[in-house]
Amino acid sequence: MAFINLTNLTYKYPLTETPVLQNINLQINEGEFVAVVGPNGAGKSTLCYTLAGFVPHFFKGELTGSVEVAGASLLESTLDEWVLNVGLAFQNPFNQISGAKYSVFEEIAFGLENIGIPREEIKVRVEEAMVRTGIRELADRSPYSLSGGQQQRVALTSILVMKPKLLVLDEPTSQMDPIGTREVFGVIRKMAEEGMTVVLVEHKVEWIANFADRVVALKGGEILLEGKPNEVLTSELLSENGFGISRYTSAAREAQKRGLWKKKQLPVTLDEAVEGFKS
Amino acid sequence: MNPNRSFFVPVDSPLHRLNPLTKLTFVFAMILPAFLSVPELAPILAIPVFLAAFIGRVQKPYLNLLLKLILPTITFMFVMQSVFLPGGETILFMLGPFDVTQEAMRSAFFTVTRIFVMVSSFALLLLTTHPSELMSDLTQRGLPGQFAYVIISTLQILPQMQAKAQTIIAAQRSRGLDTESTFLKRAGSLVPLVSPLVFGSLAEVEERAIAIEARGFTSKKTKTSLHEISDTSFDKGLRWILVILILASVALRIWLS
Amino acid sequence: MEVISQNAVYFVVVAAIMILLFAWAYFTKRIQKDFITMTWVLIPVAIAINLTIGQIVLLLKLPVYLDSIGTVLVGVICGPWAGALTGTLSNIIAGIILDPGWFPWFPVAAAIGATAGVMANLGFFKNWWKVVVTGFIIAIVATIVGTPISIAIFGGISASGSSIITAFLLETGRSLVSSVLTTNFISEPLDKIATSLLAFAIIDGLSARYLARFPRGENAAVEKGQKQTQLIIALVVVVLLILFGIFVLPMLTGG
Repeated sequence: MAFINLTNLTYKYPLTETPVLQNINLQINEGEFVAVVGPNGAGKSTLCYTLAGFVPHFFKGELTGSVEVAGASLLESTLDEWVLNVGLAFQNPFNQISGAKYSVFEEIAFGLENIGIPREEIKVRVEEAMVRTGIRELADRSPYSLSGGQQQRVALTSILVMKPKLLVLDEPTSQMDPIGTREVFGVIRKMAEEGMTVVLVEHKVEWIANFADRVVALKGGEILLEGKPNEVLTSELLSENGFGISRYTSAAREAQKRGLWKKKQLPVTLDEAVEGFKS
Repeated sequence: MNPNRSFFVPVDSPLHRLNPLTKLTFVFAMILPAFLSVPELAPILAIPVFLAAFIGRVQKPYLNLLLKLILPTITFMFVMQSVFLPGGETILFMLGPFDVTQEAMRSAFFTVTRIFVMVSSFALLLLTTHPSELMSDLTQRGLPGQFAYVIISTLQILPQMQAKAQTIIAAQRSRGLDTESTFLKRAGSLVPLVSPLVFGSLAEVEERAIAIEARGFTSKKTKTSLHEISDTSFDKGLRWILVILILASVALRIWLS
Repeated sequence: MEVISQNAVYFVVVAAIMILLFAWAYFTKRIQKDFITMTWVLIPVAIAINLTIGQIVLLLKLPVYLDSIGTVLVGVICGPWAGALTGTLSNIIAGIILDPGWFPWFPVAAAIGATAGVMANLGFFKNWWKVVVTGFIIAIVATIVGTPISIAIFGGISASGSSIITAFLLETGRSLVSSVLTTNFISEPLDKIATSLLAFAIIDGLSARYLARFPRGENAAVEKGQKQTQLIIALVVVVLLILFGIFVLPMLTGG
């Protein structure tokens, strides 16, 4: 039995006619790192909200099919139970700051206070989590005085400190400059290496190719393609359907037509492209 | 004002070390007798508040507050009430068509001393207690955690929104906003000033709600607190004494009437 | 002196009743469904809106306060209890950062939020002229709650500009209570009607999908209709209310 089990999942937001997710069937194993790609309006964020329990518990609307994470069924659970298993981080780092705390240390402790962890344990866990994500030196700063990249790492740490079994990330770097992006991906990579189950929505495909185990391509609320990162990300179906694809892939595809790319597999990252063109 | 936008002065003093609830009880032990007991008590109550400011080593910001915030208001009130309050027979002097009576002045004096005691004792609490410390303590005593969330969150959002307002006002001024022109023009300029502020901040509400709910905001478990706020037996004793003082002052009023 | 002391007791009694009502509704879980996370996150934003707009209005030197737009907004889309809480906390925050002299006015702010919520539940927040009526009712409630506070705590004449009117009325031989009540009846309606209309304009600018997130979003479903006709009705209502104020109120307050 897979760790995440989506069966015939279809969902409509309230006050809308067309479903945002249609007949999704997806199994994800424990410890797997799955990336989700898709054009705007493909239902990526809705998929994240579903895994995190906010669809349908927060957004209401109409959900059919079944969603199971770690053996629990979404429709039979309440949101406050569900969030203990699933952590969620999303695009805007500023909006993820609780606002209830004056320092980063307190901010990270917020979730643990809410779920009633004893004081001494909170201190140990917050300290530990900050060291893991490399933000120990920010402990006494105000969360509002930080850069976007730092805020997003604080948001991630605030989730990780709660020790979720599944981490759901919805374009965590979309509002970040290259430095912020590298900082945030550094943390995500570490989580992946530690064997945490991660579902990541991301349009920066070069990063995905580096460390996803599997890629799911969504289009119009349905799964279009699913498989190994390099196979999915270089598939012609993607460019035909308006997905954002790596510039190295398109360059190599052009080169292939002119016989300049000899390998069968097209590249996604710069390194793969350099290597391929060398041979 | 410090960056956290509160009156709090971060120094170490016996008053700072007191439990926040004890200081809150002190505030009410000043205010309730001032308003509920005999009027003559109000001026006397100003003395312990004043002394406490010295114990709390906040005498300078405290006096500063008195001069800038409280004195102008109550002086104005005192003059207005002395002149305009009706009744009274002992006319002290005439001010144009208005008679200033001894009774009106007496009444005005007691009203402003009450307000003085109320405002200055609250000011003292805020000078010596950080808002988050007060809220943690009250939460640990059973106040629902959401109240603490609202208070602290507002204290953090407000300066941000005021800064945004400043930016928008500056931008609108450079485009010809006139804060001095006719009434209709000034009223008309309200909408372009206010709407970016309001809609921008409302748009953040949904994501912030999701973010805090993802971190157990609605958890049914009993919340714990990172900070331990000390509550000594001295605090407990002091609170009892203050409560007895409140009751005694009200009893005094009933006994005298 | 005796008038002031009696009013002090009255003030404590009113405050105690309000607190008891709140405690009752809280512990019987009548209000829990209004207090979802969206409500708790909206309240700080609403308070910030109250105080920031209040300061901008001061800057523009308009003859209104407009410092309860956020309170009315919460009352309408999250219910009367949330509105009352927003008003109360708004005054507590203003007391913490601006001037502790705001604290005693919290029952007025609470009443404004609660009244906005009750009126919205009755369907009186769905088009312009209904909102004007709501604004007027809020003004009346604010006057009734505010007058005893004004007298008990501030002796009837505070440092605000409208105290000049009170002083004038006192000189014409009216009693203190009647003078303060009349002053508030004169100054409140304009402010509260403008406040309600601005809150309505905000709601009108929010999407149905966004409003549906809040516990009483359906209260804010704007009735579609000819905007011009509505404006005319609104104007007629305002004129009628002013006439009401001029002719009926002096009789009520025993002038």
